[in-house]
This record gives sequence, C-alpha cells and structure tokens, in this order.
Amino acid sequence: MIIHLDMDAFFASVELRERPELAGLPVVVGGSASGRGVVAAASYEARRYGVVSAMPVASAIRLCPDLVCLPVNMTLYVSVSKQIHEIFYRYTPEIEPLSLDEAFLDVSASEKLFGPAAEIAKQIKSDIKNECQLIVSAGVAPNKFVAKIASDIDKPDGFVVIEPGTVQDFLDPLPIKRIWGVGKKTEQLLQQAGMETIYDVRNKNPDWLIQRFGKLGDHIYRLANGQDKRAVISDAKAKSISAETTFASDVQDKDILLAMLSQLSEQVAVRLRDKDVKGKTVSIKIRFHDFKTITRSKTLSEITFNTTFIWNTVKELFLQVLKTGVRPIRLVGVSVSGFSAKENVQGDLFEQDVKQDKLDVLSDEINQRFGKSRIHRGRKLTK
Amino acid sequence: MKFKIKRETLLKPLQFVIGVVERRQTLPVLSNLLLQADTGKISLTSTDLEVELVANFDLDVQDGGEITIPARKFLDICKALPDDSELNIGFKNERVQVRSGKSRFTLATLPAAEFPLIEDIKVQMEFSVPQRQLKKLIERTHFAMAQQDVRYYLNGLLFEIKAGQLRTVATDGHRLAICEVDADITSDDHHQVIVPRKGIQELARLLEDSDEKALIQLGSNHIRIQLPDLRFTSKLIDGKFPDYNKVLPKASDKFIHAGRDTLKQALVRTSILSNEKYRGVRLTLDKQSLSIQAHNPEQEEAEEELEIDYQGEPIEIGFNVNYLLDALNAIPEEKVTISLSDSNSSCLIEPAESKDSRYVVMPMRL
Repeated sequence: MIIHLDMDAFFASVELRERPELAGLPVVVGGSASGRGVVAAASYEARRYGVVSAMPVASAIRLCPDLVCLPVNMTLYVSVSKQIHEIFYRYTPEIEPLSLDEAFLDVSASEKLFGPAAEIAKQIKSDIKNECQLIVSAGVAPNKFVAKIASDIDKPDGFVVIEPGTVQDFLDPLPIKRIWGVGKKTEQLLQQAGMETIYDVRNKNPDWLIQRFGKLGDHIYRLANGQDKRAVISDAKAKSISAETTFASDVQDKDILLAMLSQLSEQVAVRLRDKDVKGKTVSIKIRFHDFKTITRSKTLSEITFNTTFIWNTVKELFLQVLKTGVRPIRLVGVSVSGFSAKENVQGDLFEQDVKQDKLDVLSDEINQRFGKSRIHRGRKLTK
Repeated sequence: MKFKIKRETLLKPLQFVIGVVERRQTLPVLSNLLLQADTGKISLTSTDLEVELVANFDLDVQDGGEITIPARKFLDICKALPDDSELNIGFKNERVQVRSGKSRFTLATLPAAEFPLIEDIKVQMEFSVPQRQLKKLIERTHFAMAQQDVRYYLNGLLFEIKAGQLRTVATDGHRLAICEVDADITSDDHHQVIVPRKGIQELARLLEDSDEKALIQLGSNHIRIQLPDLRFTSKLIDGKFPDYNKVLPKASDKFIHAGRDTLKQALVRTSILSNEKYRGVRLTLDKQSLSIQAHNPEQEEAEEELEIDYQGEPIEIGFNVNYLLDALNAIPEEKVTISLSDSNSSCLIEPAESKDSRYVVMPMRL
C-alpha cells in the first residue's frame, strides 16, 4: 500500500507556529505588500478570501486587504521538512519526496512490523501533530494515483483510506479533471465527447481514447481504471533534486516568473546542501498555457550546490527560453542532476567559490538555528 | 549588382569570414553573409551577433549593390568549382546568380537592411602592435580560458593595456596563463577588457606571423582589430576579471630546471595510465631527481625517473597532467623553470631565460 502525505498550507503553517500572535489571521508567505511577488503558500484563513498559492501577491491583497505577508524562509521550511521526513523514516525507508511538503511512502514491507497501512498513516499524522505541531493530510491507497487523490479530497486534516476492493467506487464519481494529465484542454475535449466523470471514461472504448489522444489516451484509461504501476522512488535512489510550482492562473510577467524560479533554485540548492551532494547539470522545466512542456538544461564545468551558481544558470536558461517569445506560463520547475559524491580534488586558484559554498552552508545553519530569515540573498520574491 | 571575379580571389576572404557563421541559427539572416560591391571594392561580412568579421578586397565592379546570400552554400560552390575559374555574379529578381563556365547557380537572398551590423563602437582608445605579437599573446594563453563556466568572466581572454605593455591573461580557476609584449602604448590609463572565447578562437585563425601592424581599438562594449584586409569586431564580456596578481606564487623556495622536451615526453608517457577523468600524476622530487607516477582505477601504473637540476628539499605534489602539458606546449624555449613551495600551493612554470610568459597551476590532492 502507498501513503501520500501532504502538509496542510505548509509554509504558512510553519510561520503560524513560529508566530502564534498571527493565529486566526489571513497569512501568506511570499512577497510583500508593495512587491510583485508570488504567494508561495496561503493559510486556510487566507484561502477563505480566495487567495491561493502561486497567485501574485498584489492580486491576493486585492482579494484580502488585511492580508499578512511574510517573507519566505526556505531554510526553516527545509529543516522542518527534514524533521517530518525523519518521522516518515521510522516507518519505511521507501520515501519519495515530491517537494518539501509532500511525499509518497511505500509501506508494503512495513505492514508486518507496524500494522496495516491505515494504522501507519494515522500514527504518522499524530507524530507530526505532536512533535511538529503541524497538520498533514494523508491518503492511503493501493497506488500513487489513488493515494494522491485520497489525501487531497478531504483536506485540511484529511485522512482517507481506499482499500483495494473499493478503488473503483471511490474513483467513479470523481470529475475527469482529477486524472493526472487531464488539463483544461483535454477536459474540454472529453466533455465534448460526453464524459464528465471517471466512470464515463472507464466505460468508454479504450481504442477511441487512444485514437483520439494517443499515449495520453491510454494513460487516462488506465488511471480511470485505478491502474498505476509507478513505483515509489526513494531519495537515496534519486538521480536529481527538483522543485516545481504550478501557478493558480497562467503568468506572463517576467519578474514574477524570475522571482519564482529564484525561490525554486534556492529550495533545490538548500536540499542539495542538506544531503551534501553536488550536481553538475541544472535544468528548468516550463509548461506553457497550452500544456506544451519544455525542459532546458546546462551542464556546468564543475559540480556544485552553490545557490548563486544554480540561480545564475537557471536565469540564463530561462532568459533563453523567453527569447523565443513570451507566452503565458502555467508551471515552472528547477532541477539539479548529475550528482557526484567524489570531492573535487583539484585545487582552486580563486578561493572565493569555495568561500561562497561555505557561506551558503553557514547561512543555512544560521537560518535554521534562529528560525526566521536572518540571512538571505538580495533577490527574493519581492522586487 | 554585377561583377566578375577569380575563384582564388574570392576563396580566401570567404574562408576568413565563414568561421562565425553558425550552422544552427535563430535568425535566418545570420546564416547569410553580407556581400557589398562598391566601385573598385568588395566587402564580405559575417556575424553571430557577438563577433563580426569583415573581409575587403579590391575588384573592378561593373555595378555596385548590396545583398545577403547563404554563406555556406556560397563557399561550397566556390570550393567545388575548378581551379582558376572565373565567376560571374549578378543580382536579379531577388536572387543572386553565380555563373562559371557551364555551371549556373541561383541563390536565395535576404535584404542587406536585415543584416545586423555592429556600426560605431565608440572608440575610446587605440594602438598598434605587430600581428606576430598579437598572435603570440593569444597562442601562449588561450588554452587556459574557461569553457561554459558559471563565472562567465572567465570564459574569455583578458587584455590588459598599460603604457608600453600589452598583456593577456586566461584562467579557468585551476590554472592560469599570462603573456606580455612591449607595445607602443602611450596612454597612462590602465585598461582591462575581456574578449569572449569565441572571438579569441576566430582571431587566432586570422592572425599571421607577420610584422604588419594590427590596429586595436577599444570601445565601451567592443574590441575592434583592423588587419590589412580584415576587420574583426567582438563584444566584450561585461564583468570583472579576478585579481590574478594575488594568485601568482611568491613564496616559492624550490626550483626545478629542466629541458622542456624531456619533461614533456616523460609526462606524456606517464599520462597514458593516469585516471581518465581526473588526469592526476604525482611528482616526487629529491636531490637531482624527479619521479613522475600515475595510476588509474584499473590499478595500472606508470613511473618515469628523470635526472634534473634540483637542489631543494624533497617534496611530493600532484597535478592534473593536462595542465602541465598545456603550459609546456605553449613555451617555445628549450629550458623551463618550475617553482614550488609546498604540496598544497600552486606552482609557476616559465621559460628559463625570458619571463614573457608564465603559467600557474594549482595542485591536486592525490
């Protein structure tokens, strides 16, 4: 069985935990009142006003004039995320993190030791609540696809268990857009063909779907039938570290896109340093409004976990993409791969790079120890 | 536009300018070259927006005009025609026609107005050096430039200009190369400009071992070099080159005097069995002897013993063998001096007699 765990309003909840005086207020993390930043996370209070993550801060303030905007303190979130992963690790080593606040756990081999998957999920929820004062939503199901929907359907503080025999009963009434890979466009096309729910898709002739959508059609049909064979890939086996964000509505503003990429670069760099691995290849992923997705990568001359180097490369790659024309963008992602555990044995003439690495690690430590963003880089979400 | 030209007259300037025409273009006009025919003069221009090359030569032109034509196809046609052919070139109905003997080619064109020229570089200072000197400056240092380094200011060659002297410096952060020549520079100003790697590679191809002057002009964002029939213009890298003076070893107390070729050959042989990725070799120095050792992950080993002039304390130090060989290959003199201090500090390699080029290499921990 697979458990999908998704922290509720993670960044915002961590900030609220650190600043109890803000309890009950609409809070977002990311950007400032004057800035053009993007909401990285919104508390449930803020969501009541229609504020969602990846929305420009300016629009959020229009929706909720009393909004409290806090700066992003990535290092703090990374350290909390690490604490949460340690809790996961008590129950299984098969952990696939999707981002700082979301992970799949394959507990199939742990059930003998710790009891049924549902019990494990319940235990994890209570461990996180007791030890971190944070709430996580959990979905338990035979595969990743169903587990992810399950964790989301009853959010916040969700706990949904789908036993193997009940998968179809669970999926059938759900709208088709719940299927991974069904975006606005595919949804429209499916609706035009008379399909509204997963049940409708399941009862469609698979040949029609394949003819109409190719590979995606086959994928949709399998998921609708509750089939998802993808394994949980734990971080130890991971070949890259990545972070990505889908915007609430498509974004075309270059500054907002750069701000988000800068934040993602830092998130990836902090995770690299946390794991003490350096990578050689930096990639960006851009999904345009029409779901066309491109990736661009650059291989550096040296392995690195240096925030500046990663961010500069991301910026360069992104500006190259922009040269081909500006179109509304739906998702941006950053990843670093090409890991090498071997320390660089070649001496450096200009010590400053080495110093920069040490500075990054030191600033991570300071931020971790003192909680708030005591030290951060000049360019942040605000501009 | 209409003119007649000998294949041989056209081929050399064409081959000069073709270098910056990249095969994959974002802008279609960049795969073209600009052909300008004026009374008594032809000029060919190519660009990749960073580097611009212009070749000029005299010719009796029947009708003047300007147009852009596909660069590689035009060169291929000229190359494929028989020796001593005469080409008749004319422009009609938006196309360029090339006729020679019984061959006829019609090439697509794009208007000359679409061709992006680097016009006025706003010259702030200029001076001349013999081509031979400029060639030397590049040949002795270019190999140490970084390639696609995130420290973008290392992906080029530093030109340092001061009264009486022109110096080039290249480094990739692991090794550094410096060369300097006397130059007729009167300005008291001290200038530093970084010319991108691509520009340096092109420039190296254009320079000849001649005493003819190369006129070097510096603008705020460009460097321009005028050669007799050629003009090279490159954008500059907007960045600050690291303070290389700080990394020149000053505390060396151990000196190796050796023949360049003997040392080079021993290193080449040893390098065969060094780690293919890290290229490490270990140098062990003792009174009058140097041993060079290498081994690889397959546990194969190579060892060379050399008798050399060495009086210092015994020392063991590791290096990337390629860095040592690059430096030795750039030194034309017979004898070299290598200065060391300890196994964690950089070494200095220079010709024993002249001190006009110097190479600094950081060691490896082996």
